[in-house]
Amino acid sequence: MIKIFQSEFFKLRKKLRTWLGPLLIMVLVLIAFPLSIDISQYDLNRFYFSIIVVALLMISFLSTEGIFLEDYEDGSLEQVYLVEQDFYKFVLAKVLTFVLLIGVPMAGIGSVFSILNGISINEVPKIFFMMFLSNLLLFNLFAFGSSLSINKGAILGVLATLPLALPIIILLGRGVRTIQYGIGFEGVMALMVGSGLLVTSIMPLIISATLKTHLE
Amino acid sequence: MFSSFIHRFSSPKSYVEITRKFFPYISLFGFLLLLIGWIWGLAFSPEDAVQGNSYRIIYLHVPASIFAQLIYFFMSICALIHLVWRVKLAAYLIKSAALVGAMITFIALFSGSIWGIPTWGTWWQWDARITSTLILFIMYLGIITLHGSFSNLEKADRLMSILVVVGVVNIPIIKKSVDWWSTLHQSASITISEGASIDSSMLYPLLISIFGMGLTLISLGILSSKFYILTREKNKKWVQSYV
Amino acid sequence: MSLITANRISYTINNKKLFHNLSFTIDAGSALHIKGGNGSGKSTLLRILLGITTPSKGKIELLKPNTKITYLGHKNAIKNYLTPIENLKLIFHQSSLESALDWFQRLGLSRVQDEISANLSFGQQKKLALIRVLAAPADLIVLDEPFVGLDDSSRNLLNKYLQESISKGSSLALTSHIRPEIISKELMLENFSND
Repeated sequence: MIKIFQSEFFKLRKKLRTWLGPLLIMVLVLIAFPLSIDISQYDLNRFYFSIIVVALLMISFLSTEGIFLEDYEDGSLEQVYLVEQDFYKFVLAKVLTFVLLIGVPMAGIGSVFSILNGISINEVPKIFFMMFLSNLLLFNLFAFGSSLSINKGAILGVLATLPLALPIIILLGRGVRTIQYGIGFEGVMALMVGSGLLVTSIMPLIISATLKTHLE
Repeated sequence: MFSSFIHRFSSPKSYVEITRKFFPYISLFGFLLLLIGWIWGLAFSPEDAVQGNSYRIIYLHVPASIFAQLIYFFMSICALIHLVWRVKLAAYLIKSAALVGAMITFIALFSGSIWGIPTWGTWWQWDARITSTLILFIMYLGIITLHGSFSNLEKADRLMSILVVVGVVNIPIIKKSVDWWSTLHQSASITISEGASIDSSMLYPLLISIFGMGLTLISLGILSSKFYILTREKNKKWVQSYV
Repeated sequence: MSLITANRISYTINNKKLFHNLSFTIDAGSALHIKGGNGSGKSTLLRILLGITTPSKGKIELLKPNTKITYLGHKNAIKNYLTPIENLKLIFHQSSLESALDWFQRLGLSRVQDEISANLSFGQQKKLALIRVLAAPADLIVLDEPFVGLDDSSRNLLNKYLQESISKGSSLALTSHIRPEIISKELMLENFSND
């Protein structure tokens, strides 16, 4: 398992545009929003968080587009199957690598932008943790979408799985409100941690079955 | 033993032959029940004390909402059967049911919007139940699009089944949304555990409409699935002699 | 001693039968050459043997537990954005890397070791992909058109390696339009098609 994880980390690190690109796009989107409105008319602090949440959603599916495409097209998936007889460890390693190299920095960027828009610096660990857990859920889900569409383009995978991501967004929005109002954070976090652990352990099984279907 | 039972009754040919016998009765009975329910509800039920005559849309909206979810649930059972026992017929039924499900979900959303104007003063409200129903509609479209994207139809069947099973998590969210989130939406008029919260003069035509719509949708599903089976199995001898 | 038995294998795609009622065995220390025209299902049959593709009917049985299999298909399974050495380090554990590097030199790839794999020629990429098979002794070697793109010396090296492996007890299943020099049983897929 460690070797698989090291291989995936090594490969992703080499593909600069795959992990750096989404992070830069996220920064640009978060900058673009205030530029598109008359900020003297609106209290940006009140709804800027929603923009960060939507940016997380978009960048998550952008980042995981083609997560399995390269391995499918160059024949590596078949070789993994021959050795492992399923894709569980491979998928888990790949998704966790993406979460670490892309999801964690995304949570960091989101936290920084929330400070810039009025959130107290004391709340930053909570925001970071909440965004990290959201990314864990979203990356798993959109990796499933990518595995469904594999070489049919990102639109298909996103269309198939974006509806399933919306409850995660509802949960994230609720988490944001608990931070803004100062109550109920622990409950929402417990739900997110539980969901994150459950999804991270089950989703590789589902993705594994999907990838096997493509190989057939 | 269960596996051989499944395989014995899962031949597309048997399905087409059996449904051909029952289709006229199901469709006629369903249509009649729907007609009775709607005429009773639209013309003979009393006005609602608060909503006046605008409530009468429930005879379309409520059955449509119920079946929007039930059809997906049916699809998820078929998906499990297809994934576990590799029954082709189950995949054919998912594909056919998805079309019917998308249609009825759209009707639920549209009729709900029409009802919203006199009731809430708005075409749309971002509450949990309506939003979940919209999400369900998009899920149906996603399933149909996913299946249509692959030229290898056996692969498409399996991928579609996997997506349906994963998506079924949305159904309890819709059902429980009235309890989980505070919402503008009317709480469920009929629940299994607590009984109806509307008067029997309105309840009976509603129940008749629900059953009528159920049978009508089953007959639509039979038509859709028969056409699809004949298309998919067109190279088989039984199809050539049937047609 | 039989290594693999295939019992009444059929494969259908989009309700069309590619082949049906196919039965054969591959013994230890023997080779099977699968022949057929384009689209007859040669690659599909290999993938069924490997367990990657499930047959529509019939069964494949591996008679030896923990059979070690190496496979090279149409796709090379190498990463275009990595150098050849980086690719080998991804494929092989430390213990077998030395053997892989030895084959890397024997195939004449040392002069391109610092190039990105995308810049290698088709034949060079094929040789790099072949190291996966050459440097990892296996009970069953499965090859899909292995000689395509190889120069004469590499082709001879491969034939020699396969012959040695078979004599040591390994089994081989391959498809090839170029006749292999290994003595092998032949399986003509057209004999099992619908037409």
